[in-house]
Amino acid sequence: MSLVPPLRLASTDSKVQSDVSVITERPWNVVVWNDPVTPMTVVVVVFRKIFGYSNNKCTHLMLTVHHEGRATVWSGQRERAESYCVKLQVAGLQATVEQDT
Amino acid sequence: MAGRLFARRRDGRIEVRLNDAGRSAVREVFVHVVAAERSDDHEWHVALQTPINPSSDDDDPLSTLARQNEIATNAELAIMTVSEQYLNDAEAWAWLSTLQVALRSTAVANGILSDERLESCPPEVLADIRTIQQFLFDLAACL
Repeated sequence: MSLVPPLRLASTDSKVQSDVSVITERPWNVVVWNDPVTPMTVVVVVFRKIFGYSNNKCTHLMLTVHHEGRATVWSGQRERAESYCVKLQVAGLQATVEQDT
Repeated sequence: MAGRLFARRRDGRIEVRLNDAGRSAVREVFVHVVAAERSDDHEWHVALQTPINPSSDDDDPLSTLARQNEIATNAELAIMTVSEQYLNDAEAWAWLSTLQVALRSTAVANGILSDERLESCPPEVLADIRTIQQFLFDLAACL
């Protein structure tokens, strides 16, 4: 009969990892792009409905889109960013997601 | 407030003040959005397939399916309520979203990507755009 090596660890101490470092991912941005036909009031209404932002914040974001051609309207986890992007596209706005640089 | 196409009433509902010609115009827009979502050959179809994440070769199929379903659902709700005199908030949102999708699709289908292109586009296209914008201005003011 051959010798069976022990199957059970003598101790688990060496297997316990003390390294608790957290890897943080760069956030994903939801970007809304300017276009020449969408009324400004519609953009404000859509931002308020989808994100629940205040009127002031929605107006500020709308003006950023208008003057700079684009604005980041939300940042965070990728899945939520894509979900918000879809909601904006369903509402007829030109929106995309991109990872923060 | 005279001349507004939509008005928020004290009971919270939104009154649709469109005449027969106005309702016919919005019905046509709503029908086009449903058709564009269902047919690859529709001139607006490409505008409804814009990328979600341009850095990726393909978008998540679940996200594109969700977009397709929600656009079609909004357009179908808008068609179902096109003859109503009063809209609730959900119905008004469906109207607004569908009109806005139609507006952007009209612009994309005609290559209108700048203010200069808008001003130099054919008069009939410009008239369509101005009509949809007027609906949107007045409806957004109620929401």
